[in-house]
Amino acid sequence: MMNLSINGQSRLSDSPPDTPLLWVLREELRMTGTRYGCGLGLCGSCTVHINGQAVRSCQLKVSEVGSAAITTIEGLHPANAHPVQKAWVEIQVPQCGYCQSGQIMQAAALLAQNPNPTEKEIVEGMNGNLCRCATYPRIVGAVKRAAKLMKEKQNA
Amino acid sequence: MPDDTLPKAGRRDFLVRSATLAGGAFLSIGVGPSLFTGDAQAAIAATPAYTPSIWFTITPDGTTTMHIVKAEMGQHIGTALAQIIAEELEVPWDKVRLDTPRESVENFAIYGLAYTVNSGSVTTEFDRIARAGAIGRIALTEAGCKVLGAKLADCYASQGRVIDKASGRAIGYGEILQKVKLERTFSYPEDFRKVALKERSQYKIIGQSVAALDIPAKTNGQAKYGMDVFLPGMAYGALAIPRSRYGAKVLSVDDSEAKKIPGFIKAVRIDDSIGKCTGWVVALAETFPAAMKAAKALKIESDPGPYGKLSLDDIFEEFSEKAKNPEESANWVLEGDVEAALPAADKQLEAEYSSDMVCHAAMEPINCVVQHASDDSWHVHIGTQGQSFLRMTLNYYLSKVLNKKADDVKVVVHQYLVGGGFGGKQDYDDALAAAYCVNEIGRPVKLIHTRESQFATSFPRTPTLHKLKAGVKDGQLTAMNHDIVCGWMGPRFSVGKKYGSDWLQLDSHDEKKQDIDQWSIGGSDHWYHVPNHRVRAWNSDRTTWAVQASALRTVSNSYNMFVVESFMDEIAHAAGRDPVEFRLAMLNGKGGNRGIPNTGYPPGTPSDYYMDQLWISLPWTKEGSWPGYESGTVGGALRLANCLRVAAGKAGWGVKKLPPNTAMGVALSSAEERQSPTWVAGVAEVTVDPTTGRYRVNKLTIAMDMGIAINPDNVRAQIMGSALWGTSQVMSERLTYKNGAIEQTNFHEYQPIRQVDVPQFDIELIESGRHPMGVGEPASTVVAPAVANAIFKAVGARVRHMPITAQAVLDAMKKRKA
Repeated sequence: MMNLSINGQSRLSDSPPDTPLLWVLREELRMTGTRYGCGLGLCGSCTVHINGQAVRSCQLKVSEVGSAAITTIEGLHPANAHPVQKAWVEIQVPQCGYCQSGQIMQAAALLAQNPNPTEKEIVEGMNGNLCRCATYPRIVGAVKRAAKLMKEKQNA
Repeated sequence: MPDDTLPKAGRRDFLVRSATLAGGAFLSIGVGPSLFTGDAQAAIAATPAYTPSIWFTITPDGTTTMHIVKAEMGQHIGTALAQIIAEELEVPWDKVRLDTPRESVENFAIYGLAYTVNSGSVTTEFDRIARAGAIGRIALTEAGCKVLGAKLADCYASQGRVIDKASGRAIGYGEILQKVKLERTFSYPEDFRKVALKERSQYKIIGQSVAALDIPAKTNGQAKYGMDVFLPGMAYGALAIPRSRYGAKVLSVDDSEAKKIPGFIKAVRIDDSIGKCTGWVVALAETFPAAMKAAKALKIESDPGPYGKLSLDDIFEEFSEKAKNPEESANWVLEGDVEAALPAADKQLEAEYSSDMVCHAAMEPINCVVQHASDDSWHVHIGTQGQSFLRMTLNYYLSKVLNKKADDVKVVVHQYLVGGGFGGKQDYDDALAAAYCVNEIGRPVKLIHTRESQFATSFPRTPTLHKLKAGVKDGQLTAMNHDIVCGWMGPRFSVGKKYGSDWLQLDSHDEKKQDIDQWSIGGSDHWYHVPNHRVRAWNSDRTTWAVQASALRTVSNSYNMFVVESFMDEIAHAAGRDPVEFRLAMLNGKGGNRGIPNTGYPPGTPSDYYMDQLWISLPWTKEGSWPGYESGTVGGALRLANCLRVAAGKAGWGVKKLPPNTAMGVALSSAEERQSPTWVAGVAEVTVDPTTGRYRVNKLTIAMDMGIAINPDNVRAQIMGSALWGTSQVMSERLTYKNGAIEQTNFHEYQPIRQVDVPQFDIELIESGRHPMGVGEPASTVVAPAVANAIFKAVGARVRHMPITAQAVLDAMKKRKA
């Protein structure tokens, strides 16, 4: 039995230690916002935060998490009002939506580390996240918008 | 339970009535006879307590819930359809909600075919849902007027209220429902047809970029796909990669290693006797990770089947051989006399084009949860493009497996969001396999494809081979011949005369009148005025079955527009004319290229219903009596010419100063079928590195005439996404086939476009005010040929194969120098 810290709460898992965190989150704990896309860390659909860093949860064994803080899309903001989420709705980014939890988690981690990214930094920072609907231009636009929202919040 | 208090209505009449249920009074429109599904009384009898209803339900609090059977797979179709209904019904947008009726025998009788393809949802639904909204408004206005004690002439509806102009008093729809029992019949088609729809200038919701109703849940983890369903006692299934894409037979399964995996339940050899799931073995376990491990641990001996030694080279070799035998071909376009006109030309061109296989690779791998309920009904939880066909297919399969009469097997499909469709979620093998497993272990099963098993069992676009000839006389294109060899998908979907479903298969346009598969040939019947024009098509049935050829976004347009528009460019250059000016001169809207006029309302027979739903093209008609609402073809080639002028003008065609090795290419498209065109022109600006052959698409300028943009912001999103799909297809996507199997396994080997390759965009919507046409696909078809034409202009490399690799560009440059 492992004790995981997920979205600020303590959650128990009795999955085998080599189970990818993705499947613990999705199927054992039923936090289905984290999506399975490839299982090889190639698409980014399963991105979560580990101590604030964007990590592909399909590539992380649950036993490797230890006491690190896991944040999933469900816990990014208590009222689902993180600047990235707000910008995603405002710019109307998602189409099918399947990859978007991962895109949002990637973008939030990117902005946490670099609050003023250039367009090039956004493109490079988001390049690991596939979107088959190709919402890419709106993703870039929404990351820029989120950066602005974060700044406004800081100055407020 | 049938409601025998229902007033007698005519066979096809519409009944607008309110009812009282435990939840309070509500109004449903379309309750009673459904539009096109035959016996009205049967439909009524099958409608328990008047819910669910067709199209929408208003509850006393004024909330209007639109019932959407179209698959929500990224096109925000629920929002678009709701905008159309809300416009005519006059309900406030902030009170609009969406829901998804389940698919069952009963609901099929009410809603008709639940199937989302061909970018056809808005086009085919617009007229009837607008009228349904309008008759709801009329009935509510009359009732509200009565409550207010006003004169009908003084009353009008606005924003969910009926207002009396004379007194200034108003009453909300919800209140009306509580005070009056509504009963108003509209005859079909007479009254239904007579309803006056709004003029465009009166639109308040159509044409507004309202926020898509499905988006918020897609930003906070709450969106539900089939994979997000949990049922008590559920086991997990993972597919062991079959030996061949199609046709393998399992000889033995050794599960001794799998048995060592904790949680392993059993390995199930799927019954493949109906030709689905061939060679499939599913590993069942208590968790999905255990199921995946077990699937890998199974030692399966298989006979590879009839295609076990077939590879892509063999397929192309067969195509070449076939093209040598014109007597085996079927004529799709037959205008003038190509054989006579070609030798009479000043200049003749010949070219051979080809395209590789690609697959959908939606981010959501196919998955489903199947349950056999205690009342003996079967339930499938899934996001699919074809709920109705899934239900029918599973019904047929289970009746064989269980040895029961089909009528005794009840199947219900619960539809969820689709995590990307692109044509790839209209095959149902996975649900069959899951149901078979459920029957084996007596527990619900969640089957999830790993990315690897998804690639191995994907339904690719067929490889294609094209031989083209053109004759130019006095600078004009006088003759064109296009030979197309590929695998036809129609027969795989069991359509065509030999399957008895002739309404889905067209006749060739020659005396032979043989089956011809429009889904594999469409796009070659372009809108340029070419006096002598012939398209001949060959089917490679072996290819169809071996690779399981299927429909991929824009279907045949995705390769045929690449070929037609690249070749048009070759002809323009050979004729010494500017590619834009050359095209414009041929888009004169003459003869059949003027489009089909509006000729009245469809009679509404069941076969028309299918025609309507599926947008089956009429064969090359000059005149037509269908569709009844304004045909999307009205205006014909002139609308395409207009798009071309706009795109070329906005891109700065011929005037913009460009860096070295950079050029523009242009292409047009009228996808999806000739009878359902969305007019689109694209200009690609491309820079080529002449030393490596690598190229970058700098900018795409797209002009599209879709008639009416229901939601302009979303139309732009769809154009952008589909144009990037096209960019991905030309730059990097390629699926290969060896010894009966697909070779790619994951996204390191199959590479869709990512952020770094995204070009700039300039998108222009041309709202001609004509009947609204689909926008989710057509822009994808102009990118590949526009890029190919730009590469040629930039460095002189004519690449006649899709995708266009850097090596192919280098080879073509060398060939030109030689």
